[in-house]
Amino acid sequence: MSTVGGLEHPIDPLADAPPEGWVAGRSPWALAGHKLVRNRMAMAALAVFLGIVVVSFMGPFYADHIAHTDPFTSQLTATTVINGKRVDVLQQGGGVLKLGETPIGPTWQRNYFLGADSQGRDVAARVLYGGRTSLTIGIGSAVICSLLAVIVGMVAGFYGGVTDSIISRGLDVVWAFPVYLLAISIATVLLTQGLTIGPFSISASSLWLPTLIIAVIYVPYVARPVRGAVLSVREKEFIEAAIAQGASNRRLIFNEILPNVITVLIVLLPLMIATTILTESALSYLSIGVQPPNASWGTIINDGQQLLYTRPWVAIAPGIMIVLTVLSLNVFGDGVRDALDPRAKLRVKD
Amino acid sequence: MQHARRRGLMAGACLVLLVGVLAGCGGSSSSSSGGSSGSGSTTGHMGGTMVLAWNGIGSSIDPAVDYDQNWTLLNMIYDGLVTWKKVGGSDGNTLVPDLAQQIPQATDGGKTYVFHLRPGIMYSDGTPVKASDFLRAIEREFMVPGPVGSFYQGIVGGDACAKTSKSCDLSKGIVADDAAGTVTFHLTAPDPDFLQKLALPFAYAVPSNTPAKEVGPSNPLPATGPYMIDHYTPNQEILLVRNPKFHEWSKDAQPQGYPDKIDIRLSLTSEAEVTMVEHGQADWMYDQPPSDRLNEIATQYTNQVHLNPVPQVYHMALNTRVAPFDNVKVRQAVNYATDRAAIIKAWGGPQVATPTCQILPPDFPGYAAYCPYTTSPGDGKWHGPDMAKAAQLVAASGTKGQKVAVICTPDEASKAVCLYFVSLLKQLGYDSSIKVLSAAVEYPYVQDSSNKAQISFSYWYPDYPSGADWFDVVVGCNGFHPNSSASANLSEFCDPTIQKMTEKAIQTSVTDQAAANQMWSQVDKATTDQAPWVSLFLPKHIDFVSARVGNYIFDPNVLVGGILIDQAWVK
Amino acid sequence: MLTFVIRRMIATVFVVFTITVLVFLIFFHTPGVDPARKLAGRNPSPETIKAIKHQYGLDRPLPVQYVILMKKLFITRDLTSYSNQGQKVVPEIVAATPVTLSLVLGAAVIWVVVSIIMGVAAAVLRGTIFDPMLMVLALIGISMPVFWLGEMANLITQDRYHDTFLFSWVPPLGYTPLTQDPVMWFKHLVIPWLVLSVLYIGLYARVLRADLLETENEDYVRTARAKGLSERRVLLRHTLRTSMISFVSLFGLDFGVLVGGGALLVEVVFGLPGVGLLTYQSLISLDLPVIMATVIYGAIFIVIANAVVDVGYAWLDPRVRPA
Repeated sequence: MSTVGGLEHPIDPLADAPPEGWVAGRSPWALAGHKLVRNRMAMAALAVFLGIVVVSFMGPFYADHIAHTDPFTSQLTATTVINGKRVDVLQQGGGVLKLGETPIGPTWQRNYFLGADSQGRDVAARVLYGGRTSLTIGIGSAVICSLLAVIVGMVAGFYGGVTDSIISRGLDVVWAFPVYLLAISIATVLLTQGLTIGPFSISASSLWLPTLIIAVIYVPYVARPVRGAVLSVREKEFIEAAIAQGASNRRLIFNEILPNVITVLIVLLPLMIATTILTESALSYLSIGVQPPNASWGTIINDGQQLLYTRPWVAIAPGIMIVLTVLSLNVFGDGVRDALDPRAKLRVKD
Repeated sequence: MQHARRRGLMAGACLVLLVGVLAGCGGSSSSSSGGSSGSGSTTGHMGGTMVLAWNGIGSSIDPAVDYDQNWTLLNMIYDGLVTWKKVGGSDGNTLVPDLAQQIPQATDGGKTYVFHLRPGIMYSDGTPVKASDFLRAIEREFMVPGPVGSFYQGIVGGDACAKTSKSCDLSKGIVADDAAGTVTFHLTAPDPDFLQKLALPFAYAVPSNTPAKEVGPSNPLPATGPYMIDHYTPNQEILLVRNPKFHEWSKDAQPQGYPDKIDIRLSLTSEAEVTMVEHGQADWMYDQPPSDRLNEIATQYTNQVHLNPVPQVYHMALNTRVAPFDNVKVRQAVNYATDRAAIIKAWGGPQVATPTCQILPPDFPGYAAYCPYTTSPGDGKWHGPDMAKAAQLVAASGTKGQKVAVICTPDEASKAVCLYFVSLLKQLGYDSSIKVLSAAVEYPYVQDSSNKAQISFSYWYPDYPSGADWFDVVVGCNGFHPNSSASANLSEFCDPTIQKMTEKAIQTSVTDQAAANQMWSQVDKATTDQAPWVSLFLPKHIDFVSARVGNYIFDPNVLVGGILIDQAWVK
Repeated sequence: MLTFVIRRMIATVFVVFTITVLVFLIFFHTPGVDPARKLAGRNPSPETIKAIKHQYGLDRPLPVQYVILMKKLFITRDLTSYSNQGQKVVPEIVAATPVTLSLVLGAAVIWVVVSIIMGVAAAVLRGTIFDPMLMVLALIGISMPVFWLGEMANLITQDRYHDTFLFSWVPPLGYTPLTQDPVMWFKHLVIPWLVLSVLYIGLYARVLRADLLETENEDYVRTARAKGLSERRVLLRHTLRTSMISFVSLFGLDFGVLVGGGALLVEVVFGLPGVGLLTYQSLISLDLPVIMATVIYGAIFIVIANAVVDVGYAWLDPRVRPA
């Protein structure tokens, strides 16, 4: 992900304020909302995304009441009933040599709908649970990232000067570190002992670790546009007028700068969530994201790698879920951007 | 020895049918590959380039440093005073003289060995092999430094060398007479395994002017064996070609090889390796086939799959000094509760692994089948878990509800076994969880007693066929170094009575191997009863070869632990 | 202009330096990671570990270790790996670079050509259903995790359909140098190229389309139309050229990231021994010298690419230069 000089251009949904005497119309927010709602594709995408969220969080219900399975315990010697016959979940290889144990494939029924993985666990139930984890981490880290970026970007943009320089250089350093490398480095190190800062300690298998790591590495991507938004407002003439009139910093921030910043965030948020979900899945795939016993879509794809030639559904299913989720977020994000920023000045590469 | 290859390496006995030179013992479902029987008309098979698919990064090609990753290559390139027979069957564990003329008897109460070198043997660069080359080799082991200086610390002067690596002077302990062609070893105390240790690559001959720095891929040491390294491009390829200065001096120790070239491709994934062998683009794969391809190769390429047992014992190491496993009842309870059949399923099924309850592997000197941790015990075999007994023991121990973290590495098989134990411990009433550490971190971590690792998945296979490598190292007092990340005894097990029995066995083996073996079985029983491990299974080593490979021979010793590469036919 | 360039260069050096310090601190100061233990291999005696610690200078204070590492890496260039002792790190990276370059350059050619076609087509066909169709395709491309796409490609080409005429030419995963066998080199890389380019085709097609549509409204375009130039001429001569500015600068940044090791997921999935795979392997095995070298290599590429793009953009578009 990268941005261009274009991001330094001002985004300004508040520009061209209506002249005196004009009949007050809807506020810009309402206008944007209305436009968004009329965007069929964006609404459909939102529905898909929410649908995925709901289904994923129903994972426990599915596991307990529909599939009757515990997707986290080993079920190496378990058996199940398919079409009236009781079969082993892990079946011995054939031929003369009888090498290997192959998990059963998709039954397309309540038990083992998508089949079993190499430890006899119900894949469909795991994919749902995995969705919970992936979505939680994705949304959580996007939100935390935005919060951090707002602070960083606003401080840099508002105070300018040396503070801005230092912060910008800091952002440069984090940005120059290839995203995955930085994430991998930190994760490799933290996953051994967990993280302990003063009185706070996070265990190595906690979901907070990947969440925080991903949130931190994407701060520059959000902080830059935020900073740009702050700068653009600062340089407007009416700000100078307001300052001349004696407006306090606080008024400036809340009345002028913050709405601008929030607009940036709203446009970026769906795209950030899409990015964080993809990043988490990549890290988990490399075994340095979500750690067992937790499962995420990425870890299940990793599990599926070992079964790719015999039971490909273990790898296919979580991938499809990721694609659907990220796609719906991207489409919805596009809709939000169109609604809020029709001149498409704010163009952040996803 | 630990953590060298993913799955399995050596065998104590063979069960494979052989064609060609030597007979095995018993038969198995694996078939032999083509090729004529008998030793006639084998010259037609000389030549060709054998292509091997090898694992990821490759390891050192310095015999002083490489710990088993490359041994199967090194033993085709270099030689030592003695080696193990390069034949199949249990004979493959017999020591034979290599660069020495014969294996000497120890004199002076077992403290002195005198070797006479075979004359006329040269390195690939033309320099002759001299007695002082062996002095240099062992000194390098301390100076480079290599990983097993401790193996040779019993040589006079070895203690001083172990303390400082800057310089090492073993000239008092290894008296090399270049003119007479003799190498005399003086030990501080008799060591019945000393000859075995001399067969390891750490003691291979190196020119006496070899620097005390590890050699890299661009400047390998000159060869004495039938092959030499033509070039080594890290992560890509190692090419072995015939050593023009080699002549066969002992068919048992170092036979002439059949292929003209051996091309080893590196940095391949095991999946890619399987596909390459299936399509004949590689002749053999170093890694064990991944479990999802096992059925495929077994059913579609049956004749190209060879299975052989290896004396490698996979187990859960239980820390005998940390709760709850400091209570022997708990350790025994876990042993009773473990369903070894389920674990074997995770590993690839009953054809790929056999269950075990004890420390020593079958067909090992001193082995007597013993399994108390089963339903209907008594015949030494494992039948099934005894959950009732386990629950009883846990209740009696009063440790229910304690926290337990099961440690393993991120690879599928390791995780599968650990997850099984997390579930099992939960069933027994403990608050168990899994702790996955990256491969680079895990082994040092579980060795360091300050980390208080409770239970971890591990394996052990012996460096040489002697009970001492088990009971004096991995479950013996001498293998435990507190607060050090180099402490092979993960269970921190040290029982004074058993230690006495071990020392007696070592002493006895200097003079009477048979009596010593009897003692080793007693030590095995006693240790198994104390349950420092949950012994799980012994894997079978799987060799998957391409269709054109003939004369497949499985050599069980630790240097090869698989197919005798240079004895295979590719033409 | 010159001062701008110089200032950017200084900033670049500063950033790279900070990265090296960060990497050093992350890995050399990690609790639970003892480089000496790692170097000592399997089952060393405690004395061996101590000896190694001293030999590698690991018992010296941290700043001294940092300086020694930098010196070995840049000046004497004899830094050796911890996992694969005796193996020099710099030649290892040099050997891995052509693989990454082959992968990234090939993918770049594909994605540039295809995304330009797609982006221009979408802009020209605005109003028909082809525009949203193309954009949805592009979005799908962006939404697929690249490693998953690679696995799916492997599933199809290595296994399920391998024996059909479609994919029987696909070799097992791996790499053959161009100089050794160009045909094999090509065969090994075709599928990875396609997989890597999918993501970027999606991204660049969208960016290009958005750029084209935006510049459509610029005054100079309207002037050109008013002058009577054909639509195609307007498109190719004027709007496309302007839009290419941002396209090219984006490309510069992405190319830098990819060559610097950002293609590691593709390299892992397809078993290509490039810089990305080397970085990943060294990170997993905590091979500190190799980690240091690969991360620095990657950071330098990216930082330089950033700087070049910034300077180039400033040169092309004077409005962007700072006051």
